[in-house]
Order: sequence, then C-alpha cells, then structure tokens
Amino acid sequence: MGIKGLTKLLADNAPKALKEQKFESYFGRKIAIDASMSIYQFLIVVGRIGTEMLTNEAGEVTSHLQGMFTRTIRLLEAGMKPVYVFDGQPPDLKKQELAKRYSRRADATEDLHAALETGNKEDIEKFSKRTVKVTKQHNDDCKKLLRLMGVPVIEAPSEAEAQCAALCKSGQVYAVASEDMDSLTFGAPIFLRHLMDPSSRKVPVMEFEVSKVLEELNLTMEQFIDLCILCGCDYCDSIRGIGAQTALKLIRQHGSIENVLENINKERYQIPDDWPYQEARRLFKEPLVFTDEQLELKWAAPDEEGLINFLVTENGFNSDRITKAVEKIKTAKNKSSQGRLESFFKPVVSTSAPNKRKEMSVKPEKEAANKKSKAGVGRKKK
Amino acid sequence: MLELRLVQGSLLKKVMESIKDLVNDANFDCSATGFSLQAMDSSHVALVALLLRSEGFEHYRCDRNISMGMNLNNMSKMLKCAGNDDIITIKADDGSDTVTFMFESPTQDKIADFEMKLMDIDSEHLGIPEAEYHAIVRMPSGEFARICKDLSSIGDTVVISVTKEGVKFSTRGDIGTANVVCRQNTTVDKPDEATIIEMNEPVSLTFALRYMNSFTKATPLSSMVTISLSSELPVVVEYKIAEMGYIRFYLAPKIEEDDEETKP
Repeated sequence: MGIKGLTKLLADNAPKALKEQKFESYFGRKIAIDASMSIYQFLIVVGRIGTEMLTNEAGEVTSHLQGMFTRTIRLLEAGMKPVYVFDGQPPDLKKQELAKRYSRRADATEDLHAALETGNKEDIEKFSKRTVKVTKQHNDDCKKLLRLMGVPVIEAPSEAEAQCAALCKSGQVYAVASEDMDSLTFGAPIFLRHLMDPSSRKVPVMEFEVSKVLEELNLTMEQFIDLCILCGCDYCDSIRGIGAQTALKLIRQHGSIENVLENINKERYQIPDDWPYQEARRLFKEPLVFTDEQLELKWAAPDEEGLINFLVTENGFNSDRITKAVEKIKTAKNKSSQGRLESFFKPVVSTSAPNKRKEMSVKPEKEAANKKSKAGVGRKKK
Repeated sequence: MLELRLVQGSLLKKVMESIKDLVNDANFDCSATGFSLQAMDSSHVALVALLLRSEGFEHYRCDRNISMGMNLNNMSKMLKCAGNDDIITIKADDGSDTVTFMFESPTQDKIADFEMKLMDIDSEHLGIPEAEYHAIVRMPSGEFARICKDLSSIGDTVVISVTKEGVKFSTRGDIGTANVVCRQNTTVDKPDEATIIEMNEPVSLTFALRYMNSFTKATPLSSMVTISLSSELPVVVEYKIAEMGYIRFYLAPKIEEDDEETKP
C-alpha cells in the first residue's frame, strides 16, 4: 500500500515538512477523505472479536456503517466539513498489485481455516483481519449513509487519492486525509494522517506539506514522483536492493529514473524486465480525475427519517442512539458556521525570525488615543 | 540581555489571567518599543494581541529583539506566587533557554526568583491590516461582561447589531430569547460610565458567546471596553491598559450557512 518507507524517509530527511496538529485545529476546514481506506479500517477494527463482527439481523456485516457513522459525527462535531471520495475503476497498472492482494487474501483464508481448526485465538484474529475485503455492497452502504447524513460523496473516475489531491490542488478543500502516502505523490498540497483514528487512541494528526517536503528534500515535484516510484508504489515493482534511503540518494545524484538507470551497477541491482515506470509516472502526474466544474460540494441537513429507517429498521442499530446522534449532527451543523481567522487575516512570514515586531493593527484614531495616554507617562529610567 | 521592571506587578497577573484560558502556548516578543504577544486559540477562531510599551516599565532594557516561547499556564502558576503589590522584573540572558521572574515586596524585605523553561513554539503570525470599522462602541467593561454572562445562560451565540438607536445584544436558546439594548449615553457624571457609539453604517454580526465570555476575563484591566465591528471583519474587543498599551481580542464571526464563498 502506498509508497514503501516514505514516512520514515521524510521523518529522517524532511522533519520540517511534518507537523503534529491537534484534531480540533481543523475546525471549519473542508477535508477530502479517501473513503475506501477508511471503510477497510472500520471493517478491521470496529466491533471485532475474533472472527465475529457487528452484524444486522440478516447476518450482514455492519462494522463499516458503525465506523463511518461515529467517525463522521466526530468530524462534524469538531466543525470540519468532510467530503468522502470513493474509488472508481483502478488503472490497469494497479491490477497487478490488486491480484497480489487477492492472492494474499486467499492465503490468509487458508491460514484462517487452519487456525480455526487448531483453535489458536491470536492466529484466528490475525488471519481473519487479513481476509477483510471491501465489497461493492460495503461501499454502496456507506455512500447511502453519508448522503442521508448530508455529507457530500464523490465517486472518482479512477483512484480516490488522485481525486482527493485534485480537490486540494484546486482549493476546493483544505487538505486530504488518508493513511496512504500516495496522496503526497499525487501532489496534495496538504496531507493529513491519523485524522480518522478513534479519539480514544489520542494520536495527534500528522500534517504533511508537499511544498515543504520538496523544499527540504531539495527535489522538484517530478523528481519526488520518481523517488516514490523507486521506493515502490502500487503501480509497478521496485528494483531489488533499492530502498527509500538509497532511492533518495540516487535521485539526488542523478535527477531522474532515466539517469539513474544509465548509471547504476546493473550487476548489483536487477532492473525488472518489464518495468513500466514511465506509465506509473504518468499516472501520478496526470491521473484521471474530475475537474472542478463537474463536482458540487454541498453539506446539507441530515435526513432524520431516512437515517432511522436505514440504520434502525434495516440494520438493527439502537434507535435511541441514532436519534441522539442525529441531534448531534444538527448541532454540529450549526457550529460549522463559525468562521476562521485565516479567512480574514493572512499569515505573515516573519515567524521564525523574532526580529521585527510589526504593529500592524494600530488604527489612526487609536494611535491618537495611544499618544494621549503616552503623554502621561514620563517616568522612564535607564 | 533583557530586563523589564514593572512596578505595578498586579498588571501582569491580570493580563495572564485574561489570556491563559484562551491560549496555551505563545511567543512573547520583546523589542526596544515594548513587550508584545500575538497568539491564536487552538481552533483559530480567536486571536489575542497584547502590547505593553517600554515607557510603561520603570526600567526597560532589551538589547536585541527576542522572542520567548512560554506555556501560559505555567507562567500563570508562577505569577500567582507574586503578591498583588509586588514589583515584577522579567529577566533573560542572551541565548538562555529560561526566563526569570523576580518578585520584590514593596518594602523590599522579600525577594523571590522564579525561573521558567522556555519552549520552541512554531506559531503563525497573522498580519492584521488597518481597517476602518463600520461601528465602534465604547462602553463600561463591567456592563459588557455582565451582558455576555447573562446571555450565555440563554443561548450559545450573540447577535451584536449597531443602529442609530444604540447597540443591541440578542440571543436565542431552547428556553427563549433575550435582547439587551444599550443607548448612547454621554451625560453621566463619571466618564467611565459613558456609552459612546460611533457609527458609519449599521452592522449586525453573530459571534460565539463562549469566546466573548473568555475575553471579558480582561475586565479588571480597564473600566472601559471598545468593540469595533465591520461586516466583513472579525470583531475587535479592546481593553486599554493604563499608560502602557492594550490587550485586543479578535473573533471571527459566524457565517451564514448558504454562503458558498467561504474559504476551504
């Protein structure tokens, strides 16, 4: 998943590009969220005991609905405006990676059967988590739920991360939230991790700024994409023996994959025969996404009746809890109208240099008043 | 080398009390002109700007501009140890990672030194442009604090509207509604009981009472408060600090829901 070893590479080589932020500080911000990743996490974590998961009366899994519902309310209550982006058709190059995942899942299913026979609880839990797959049904359930909650849903033409990044680049949203480092490679100006973690874990949100990443690594965006491909992405294999650190060194030295290929020792590093790095690069640079005009982001009031019908009647949620939660959404909606200071005042750059203090805010008439009060002060001793 | 001696030490105590609940950590900037601070609350809705001019100190020495990051809660803990009549001196050496607060009793028979660790704070500094406000209301600070407190027992938000008639504070909650109107009143005997309204244009804005109530913690600093309002700008609630400077609170207004122009 994502880019191998990139988090660590950035922590070591571009520490200034990473910031820990409080969950609350994203108040009032519009945030694009990679839905598929979140649903996958919910299926793994929410309400799981061994192989047992939350289900409705018909025995269908409802962990994803539970997770999506509570976490989204948490975002709304914090005054954020989430937009969920769902995956569309995967690009052809990713099919290889997907096939690998499929076979891993098949392996895990076998292992799970074996573990069930021996009755090893740890193994059962471990392997059953690995068999988790997000189905179309899960996606459709979540879309329905979100629409009822009044939260906008976007179905990306291809990769959700790419669509999220495009929304962020065009300024439609403030940041992209995902656990997948791909978002940076797609060029999302601001990328958040751990935003969707449960509040009980108390993990601060990690904020990455792509411009700072490039500045700190001293690379151009093209070079950064090449770096990510060398590290290992979803679209093609990486070169055996080249990890993140080596990749950074090579790109810094040679500037692009082409030059790296010309200069590295081919005996030592085996370049895969069929290595579609150019194609992968193109997918990162010009991914298939919807442009602004095709999208409309609107946050509406929740459909209380619809939610109760869907969650309580169809999926067996506790009706009191849902009614309370709907109240929460309504109050949160009221709260989200609070403006942020940044939409009025712009940050000035002189943060790190504590030299010049500017008195920007003094109005003429106030200055006059200040002078008057100054006149009274005569005792200055040096 | 930095050495600031403030005879009226209680002033610094009051300043801390008025901002420590709003802001956790902040950089204090010292220059030849004065001791200042600008910081936002964690949700970036409110901002506090403090200025204590050098002339207000009995002794002010600041060889070069420095910025000191402090945890306001810790600073407040230390300042609470100073007596109300104590003289407070703030000291810091060049390149040191600590700041010292020295408290001297008025009779000079007790001197206490409190040293506090400084911290690195990576905070954004906002540029606040000069603006002509549509309406400026000056009123007794106690009165303003009372109104905010009263209204917050009814609702969460306050609508402040200024018209020719006066300034109206209104709220709405589950149990009902409340309206308080203050009229222009300059005929009182004491100047600090007057309510003065300068209005160029009628203006009406909505704010979260939670923040307003937090601002009114600065009431002990000044008998008057100045509220400046413009329809496209955050409100400024200013308390003058006698002969020294000011503490100003900026608060972003609530925006109408169907306003699609809001920034992401």
